[in-house]
Amino acid sequence: MRSRILFVIISILVTGCISVEICDDDNNSVMVAKFMTMKEDLPADSTVASLSLYGIREGRPDSLLYNNQPSINTFDVPLDPHHDFTRFVLHLGEQTDTLELMHHQEFYMISYDCGFGNLFTLETVGYRTGMIKSAEIIDEIVDAETEEDDVHIWLFL
Amino acid sequence: MLKLKRMMYISGSFSKTALLLLLLSLLGKVSAQEVAGQEGSKKDTLRTFGPRFGVDLAPFIYYFTEPKIIGAEVSVDFEIYKNLYPVFELGYSSTSESEETFDYESVGNYARVGIDYNLLKAKDRAWHNTMTLGFRYGMSFFKQSSDNVLIYSDYWGNYMPDPYESSLKAHWLELTGGIKVELVSNLSLGWMIRYKFLLNPDMDPVMIPALIPGYGNGVNTSTFGFSYSVFYMIPLIKK
Repeated sequence: MRSRILFVIISILVTGCISVEICDDDNNSVMVAKFMTMKEDLPADSTVASLSLYGIREGRPDSLLYNNQPSINTFDVPLDPHHDFTRFVLHLGEQTDTLELMHHQEFYMISYDCGFGNLFTLETVGYRTGMIKSAEIIDEIVDAETEEDDVHIWLFL
Repeated sequence: MLKLKRMMYISGSFSKTALLLLLLSLLGKVSAQEVAGQEGSKKDTLRTFGPRFGVDLAPFIYYFTEPKIIGAEVSVDFEIYKNLYPVFELGYSSTSESEETFDYESVGNYARVGIDYNLLKAKDRAWHNTMTLGFRYGMSFFKQSSDNVLIYSDYWGNYMPDPYESSLKAHWLELTGGIKVELVSNLSLGWMIRYKFLLNPDMDPVMIPALIPGYGNGVNTSTFGFSYSVFYMIPLIKK
């Protein structure tokens, strides 16, 4: 009798751990970048007055991801699953720079409900004009389940 | 734009799980005490030894979960020295799903070897109830394949990886803890919690396995596992 009770409890335990997942419309892997500055040799948050940003898409027209977004400290952008690099053009007021992210990727199953997504591993962060003074990879893994407080790279201005 | 993955648990909070496990422990303890009482009254000074074979009942439950995982696992242990039980476990599991944006299959065998140490002080030598801590080394040989995978991306364009198949080997370590209660002579029931550490998470550079037989989802470099087994010990030696 007791063994039956045990079995029922175990069954409840196992089935109780099954989750119901609400999926996003797409499975983009979103990288989060944060603007930083150096204050007394220590990194500190920085806010820019205005940000416009678009990705360089081969064979497709430019499409703004951010359009004169005022007073911004972080931005999040989807990475390109078709190449081992992703390039973005950033406009901070009058200044412009191109951000180039080198990465490799695997695909993985997010869940049976939500399907597959890409898991990118960031390798290097490049920039061209000097508007961005340096960059640091904080979290090299960018998957399709980015949380609200995730930050992947710091961009020092 | 930032995406949030929202998990809505029906009743799967960790605290509830812990509560149920505690309840199980208490039930196991009560059973053990009852058995001890019965056996104690016989004042049996002899102890039986022999291989104890087990069948894990947890895979039968996974058959009714989503995704459907078909599996089976058997085990054998033997008390070679007082309170020390070398363990060998052998299993099979597979999943095969066809959904709107993907087809996926993973199938393979696994084995674990390790040792359990019994912490429960025996009231007499005939006592076979145990509360163990132990470890395992696990290894799985399996194949995974995917086809018709579609990853939506409004900005960069939808991504469709080529059909993919790979033969893989995974290995991992486990810390284990569990209870076995002898219900009638030589027949026991027991549960075990396993905390697993995947040793080669980068086994496949193209697609992370969604099911590593014997381990679980390869996205997690560490994960919990659970087994609930029925055991029978063949009483070969009595001394």
